[in-house]
Amino acid sequence: MDSDEEIHDVYDGDSAEDYYYSGGDSNMDGGDSIGGGEDEDDDAGYGYGYASDEGSEKTYTVLREDDIRQRQEESISHVSAVLSISRVAASILLCHYKWNVSQLHDQWFADEDRIRKSVGLLTKPVAMFSNANEMNCGICFDSYPRDQIQSAVCGHPYCITCWKGYITTSINDGPGCLLLRCPAPGCGAAVGHDMIHKLASDEDREKYSRYFVRSYIVDKKKTKWCPAPDCENAVEFELGSNVYDVKCLCSHAFCWNCTEEAHRPVDCSTVAKWILKNSAESENMNWILANSKPCPKCKRPIEKNQGCMHMSCTPPCKFEFCWLCLGAWSDHGERTGGFYACNRYEAAKQEGLYDESEKRREMAKNSLERYTHYYERWASNQTLEKLSDKLKEPESQLKFIIEAWQQIIECRRVLKWTYAYGYYLPEHETAKRQLFEYSQGEAEAALERLHQCAEKELLVFLGNDDGEVETQPDFETFRPKLAGLTRVTRSYFENLVRALENGLSEVDSQAASSTSVSSKNAGAKGKGGKAKSSSSRSSRTGTRNIDDVNHWNCERCTYANPESSTLCQMCRNPR
Amino acid sequence: MANSNLPRRIIKETQRLLSEPAPGISASPSEENMRYFNVMVLGPSQSPYEGGVFKLELFLPEEYPMAPPKLGRICLDILKDKWSPALQIRTVLLSIQALLSAPNPDDPLSENVAKHWKSNEVEAVETAKEWTRLYATGA
Ligand SMILES: [Zn+2]
Ligand SMILES: [Zn+2]
Ligand SMILES: [Zn+2]
Ligand SMILES: [Zn+2]
Ligand SMILES: [Zn+2]
Ligand SMILES: [Zn+2]
Ligand SMILES: [Zn+2]
Repeated sequence: MDSDEEIHDVYDGDSAEDYYYSGGDSNMDGGDSIGGGEDEDDDAGYGYGYASDEGSEKTYTVLREDDIRQRQEESISHVSAVLSISRVAASILLCHYKWNVSQLHDQWFADEDRIRKSVGLLTKPVAMFSNANEMNCGICFDSYPRDQIQSAVCGHPYCITCWKGYITTSINDGPGCLLLRCPAPGCGAAVGHDMIHKLASDEDREKYSRYFVRSYIVDKKKTKWCPAPDCENAVEFELGSNVYDVKCLCSHAFCWNCTEEAHRPVDCSTVAKWILKNSAESENMNWILANSKPCPKCKRPIEKNQGCMHMSCTPPCKFEFCWLCLGAWSDHGERTGGFYACNRYEAAKQEGLYDESEKRREMAKNSLERYTHYYERWASNQTLEKLSDKLKEPESQLKFIIEAWQQIIECRRVLKWTYAYGYYLPEHETAKRQLFEYSQGEAEAALERLHQCAEKELLVFLGNDDGEVETQPDFETFRPKLAGLTRVTRSYFENLVRALENGLSEVDSQAASSTSVSSKNAGAKGKGGKAKSSSSRSSRTGTRNIDDVNHWNCERCTYANPESSTLCQMCRNPR
Repeated sequence: MANSNLPRRIIKETQRLLSEPAPGISASPSEENMRYFNVMVLGPSQSPYEGGVFKLELFLPEEYPMAPPKLGRICLDILKDKWSPALQIRTVLLSIQALLSAPNPDDPLSENVAKHWKSNEVEAVETAKEWTRLYATGA
């Protein structure tokens, strides 16, 4: 099928990579560049240094809504004072200038008239006011007494009902309402935020003010929104740092550079390739139609609506692009003279390749939800409260459970990305592949043990209906076990991450006795050829039943060791 | 029914479309539903569309004029984000007609079309003629 081919082309090509990868360079050129970032190089997206002492020095700050509002207020006051304009005018200008005060100052003092014109800050009306007592509304065409008619500075008359309809429509269309202009074709006069506040319903006013806060961070170079749904926080990043994993106060961990979920140990370009590969593999139009995509220019998620492939990003970006190939719309063959029939889309629809809204819901799930699910189920304070209740233990004594679950979530994420890593590891690098598969298998096995303990064994204490109440185990035995497993798993994954981020360089210097755990392990039993390294699936189920086979569990760390060894392979504790 | 509480604005627009039709454009409301119009736009003479009659169906959604008219698969900026309730059915149809006329590469109305036209006029005109032949004649 024609369209399939095109999609594959796109995903195979370099352009797709560039698009995820360019990290917003495209909107940084030209006069619209946002200051504050002091133009540090934007291309630092490659090398992830391993943060050896994690958490000791944060490279970012999480901003809550109140912090942002306060900064906005300060900017408005400042601009209003320096430019000698009203606060309303100042906030319109700041919305247009994406809150870049210094750029606004420069341009305003260079050419005030031009700026006024382009943002629609007129100094006097352009429409002739008649002296009649009745005026015609330009929208509903009815005539009204003077006091029922309102206008922006331009003077174009519309009745209050129509203004309300206009404003509510605009607010419900998205953040473009912040730059609302008079409805008269070609007029362009800005509609003041005060007028909108006066005429909008409570609900709309609420939305409007949300957009207003959010406008503060659009296109900012060193600040980005937390991409978690419903999270209102932003993260301000210390440019220059090359460790991009950040964690919002809402607990969502993401990569500041590409805003995908946190993806150590793989780099942003691998992530982009992997995501595109997987989407291309879903073969038909469903995936593409089901998801929102980031605007190729400003990276904000754009949800596709209705049939047309001609997408326009929401203001202020307004980038126009093709949904299918993400190319600029201006490069597309709109050769039918303005009628663009969206052939590929129509064809797909006719072939029944998708059933719009239905499939969309179904498909539009992202991995975020999975982690959120874990988090809500286990790592939340509710679980803690419930347990604390049951066990008559203070919550502070139960933190180790939360820690275990946070570790599980983090490890699941790392594990997921290691599959992307493995996919792009060249086939001929046999030694690296082996080390990779081995380390991955080990880390995964440790994670499975931790997961099992944190879920199954915890259920017993929670007194869930489906947790069989056998002999009530001792909570004081459970505590060190889970804490130990958490520690062990963390160390496995730290080693895995470090090894992958070093490009598995241990392989090159394997002769030398290394101090890193992962290479030691590889040397010790990599060749023993546990069959599990070949398939992660089997290793997963294999470890679940590890107790059934000939293994012994370490007293100290609970690691399952083969019968043959007398020392624990994990912690070197004797059997 | 749908016709009984038709906003005055729609009634006025319809009356004017019928009493003073724009040249080369006809728009007549359906009898069952006054929000539904059968539209015909003549391919302007001297244009690649000459001799074609473009039949379109135009529908005024409940939210009209706050929301733009719906016009099948046509992609026109004023039917999307450039819509303003101060525009009218007539404005929309005139825009379509303007696009059908020999495109003026500097006309901001059809910026995207214009780019294509500028870069590859022969091919674009051929495509347009072909489409006219296939879709806009006879049928
Ligand atoms: Zn009105
Ligand atoms: Zn105006
Ligand atoms: Zn967040
Ligand atoms: Zn990234
Ligand atoms: Zn955009
Ligand atoms: Zn289109
Ligand atoms: Zn041990």
